[in-house]
Amino acid sequence: MIEKVRIRGYRTHKDFIFRPNPKLNLIAGPNESGKSTLIEAIALALTGRVNGRSASEELNPYWFNIDNVNSFVASRRRGENVAWPEIHIEVFLQNKSELQTLCGAINSDNPVNSCPGVAFSVIPNPEYADEFQAISQECLSPLPVEFFKTEWRTFADTPLTSRPRQLSTAIIDSRTVRSASGVDYHMRYILSDGLDPSDRAAISVAYRQIKADMTNTTLRPVNERMAGLNATLHDQDITLAMDQSSRTSWEGAVTPHVNQIPFGLSGQGQQAAIKISLAMSRSSQKAGIVMIEEPENHMTHSSLVKVISRIESLASDDQQLFIATHSSFVVNRLGVDRIHLLGSEVAKKLSDLRPETVAYFQKLPGYDTLRMALAQKVVLVEGPSDEILFERVYKDLYNVSPIENGIDVLSMRGLSFARCFELCSELGQMVAALRDNDGKEPADLLSPLQDWLEDGIREIFIGDNAKGNTLEPQLINHNSEDILRRVLAVTSQADILTWMRREKTEAALRIAKSIECITPPSYMTNAAVFIHG
Amino acid sequence: MANELTLAVAGGRKTQGLIDYCAGLSDNQRVLVVTFTRNNQEEIKRRLSKYAGQKQTVIVMGWYTFLIRDFVKPFIPFKFYGERVRGFNFEGRPYLKASGKNRFLDKHNALYACELARISFELIAQSQGSLMTRLESIYDEVLIDEVQDLSGYDFDILDCLLKSSIRVKMVGDIRQAVLSTNPRAAKNKKYAYSQAMHWFMQRQSAGLLSITQQSVTWRCHSHIAQFSDSIFHEEWGFPKTTSRNTSNTGHDGVCLLHPNQLDEYIRVFSPTCLRDSSRSGKEYAIDFINFRVAKGMSFHRVLIMPTAGIVAFLQQGALLEPLAACKFYVAVTRAEQSVAILVKNVTCSSLNYWDGKS
Repeated sequence: MIEKVRIRGYRTHKDFIFRPNPKLNLIAGPNESGKSTLIEAIALALTGRVNGRSASEELNPYWFNIDNVNSFVASRRRGENVAWPEIHIEVFLQNKSELQTLCGAINSDNPVNSCPGVAFSVIPNPEYADEFQAISQECLSPLPVEFFKTEWRTFADTPLTSRPRQLSTAIIDSRTVRSASGVDYHMRYILSDGLDPSDRAAISVAYRQIKADMTNTTLRPVNERMAGLNATLHDQDITLAMDQSSRTSWEGAVTPHVNQIPFGLSGQGQQAAIKISLAMSRSSQKAGIVMIEEPENHMTHSSLVKVISRIESLASDDQQLFIATHSSFVVNRLGVDRIHLLGSEVAKKLSDLRPETVAYFQKLPGYDTLRMALAQKVVLVEGPSDEILFERVYKDLYNVSPIENGIDVLSMRGLSFARCFELCSELGQMVAALRDNDGKEPADLLSPLQDWLEDGIREIFIGDNAKGNTLEPQLINHNSEDILRRVLAVTSQADILTWMRREKTEAALRIAKSIECITPPSYMTNAAVFIHG
Repeated sequence: MANELTLAVAGGRKTQGLIDYCAGLSDNQRVLVVTFTRNNQEEIKRRLSKYAGQKQTVIVMGWYTFLIRDFVKPFIPFKFYGERVRGFNFEGRPYLKASGKNRFLDKHNALYACELARISFELIAQSQGSLMTRLESIYDEVLIDEVQDLSGYDFDILDCLLKSSIRVKMVGDIRQAVLSTNPRAAKNKKYAYSQAMHWFMQRQSAGLLSITQQSVTWRCHSHIAQFSDSIFHEEWGFPKTTSRNTSNTGHDGVCLLHPNQLDEYIRVFSPTCLRDSSRSGKEYAIDFINFRVAKGMSFHRVLIMPTAGIVAFLQQGALLEPLAACKFYVAVTRAEQSVAILVKNVTCSSLNYWDGKS
């Protein structure tokens, strides 16, 4: 369906090109990276609406990219006659025959490309040319949006007034704002789209009939009594009748109920699950494009597991899915290779990941792959005691904790170094991995990782065989027993190695809290120096 | 299904044939009905809503609208990168030597009507097939009314339609080719007006089209039908018209009228008065309708103010040149019952003249 989205000048996106996968798209990125904006922009171009209201009504100065606005204001103040900022959102669609009414070359592609598509723009309205001239230098920002106009059209340059029939879109957002009727605009769309035309017609006719019956029966005696009132100018009768305008159509009165409780009053998680099922259900009228915003919101882990498996089972070839998420669980379960990591101008894809690796994370969905993806630099350690200790060592060296330098320390908890290295390598992340030698030769430990290692970018740091197999003997070998006994508060009666082996995490915590600094094993120092850069 | 051209005589219910065809279409057939005049467009819409009102997939459009909407607007960047069509300039003409963008678009980016067919045709090839693919995907059939009004590059566009997967069904009357969509187009001049017939015959031989002649008129009295046939030389090969109008009023057929009896004639018969253009018939204080405008209309009785050419045809049997013949044919065939032609010398013709009696 959607092959490319280009967003220019809209909110965080200055000039952003997004090439979605044909079926599943997981949109991830740090806060403020524009995940919701991307979904909002696609929805704007496909439906001409934002949060259920028409774009021209909702237009506000904050839609414009702040950098564009600032540089515009600065240029004008310097006396340059630069053009007002504009917003352009283009959705390029697959060149299929049922989409040909939308086909044309009126898009920003160069060389000229003819394909089906829709475009949404906000541009200065030429009818207000005089007003634009009269706006003084000092009042340029916020932009005078009342003098701008929205333009919504196909690539064939035909203006659009309502959503093109072929582009059925379901948007499932997790926002808590709700309309008075309890069913939000998106839900109404999903419901109405999910019904066959014949069902829809039947409901509409029956509902109008009920209203007409009410007028003819219950209201009749009232009207007979009012007949003699003569309250109007020309003494015509006043009668009461049910409102038959489209404002009061069945769509506003028919709402889904869950266990006899109105949809709007059921839990947020329940609502999201229902919306997802309705939008994706295998009816002939189902939406071609489904966008789900942060399905993990308002859901317990077990509900999320259910919803995700529902998404998996309902997903079909002719439906394109966009899921914005912060949850590694969602990402791992649906396939880490379907991820788009939003950066400033382009979205990074992971489509070259080996299928075995994708399957590996699918089976271990609890692992925080998104942390690996979103950190600036990554340190992989084997367990919690290594993690605690590394944080302390780093802080002793640089006086800040790693996270303040954008370094995320992740504990592998038995996960495969190779898989994580492959993922990080696909992501282009800088990684330091720390591990015990476990009595093996470093060369043997390195060989399975060889493909993903790269000097200066991805390196592994292994404890010296001469200084012990694991972290505890390494610590003992790098420090005097006195210091360790003081820091760990271990009495002289206990054997220090036995105690440390038994109380691994406690030992690490005591070292981390101690006022006194210990000497870290050299591989740990090396790793800290490497990752600090 | 093959492409069809039905050539019918005046009063042959061509338009109604299209309407009936639309009414009988299966649902979901996406059909475009193209016409050339606004009057005709309104008439077709009116009749469609009366006879085929349930069809939601039949669209009526003028030829210009069709070219702007489905040819130029979507694909103009293939010719002029970054340009968009901002309007339509019906009256304007590009400078004689204008080239590039200025040939087709005025300074407000409005398309010149007179160059519209040319740019549309050129875009078919320049769009690398996407233009025709799009058309084939959005229309199953294109019906063209008054097909004789095509001219110049219109024929090249029609040629592409005939070769596409879209079924093309056309009706028209070569004898009524009085309204060219583009009077200034130099290209295909050789097909202009009645010569269009040869173009269609060539397409028929190439297997792109089958032509049906329909020579029954429901409008014109048999004497008028006979006279209308005589306007064209036999070598043009038009079949003889058969009349289904059997009513007799006591004053039927074609006659000559002397100017002295004009007022009396108008008083008795109240004919509709037709003339070639505003230049003819100035000496009479009568409300005339020009031939061109009268096209597609039907009147009980008609009075014609002839041109010098028509007088020569009546008196010496000198054949009219094609365009003039077409116009005269249109004028004559507007009448259901009678045609009177105003001439000073009423005796040197084989036609009878009105003697003030019947």
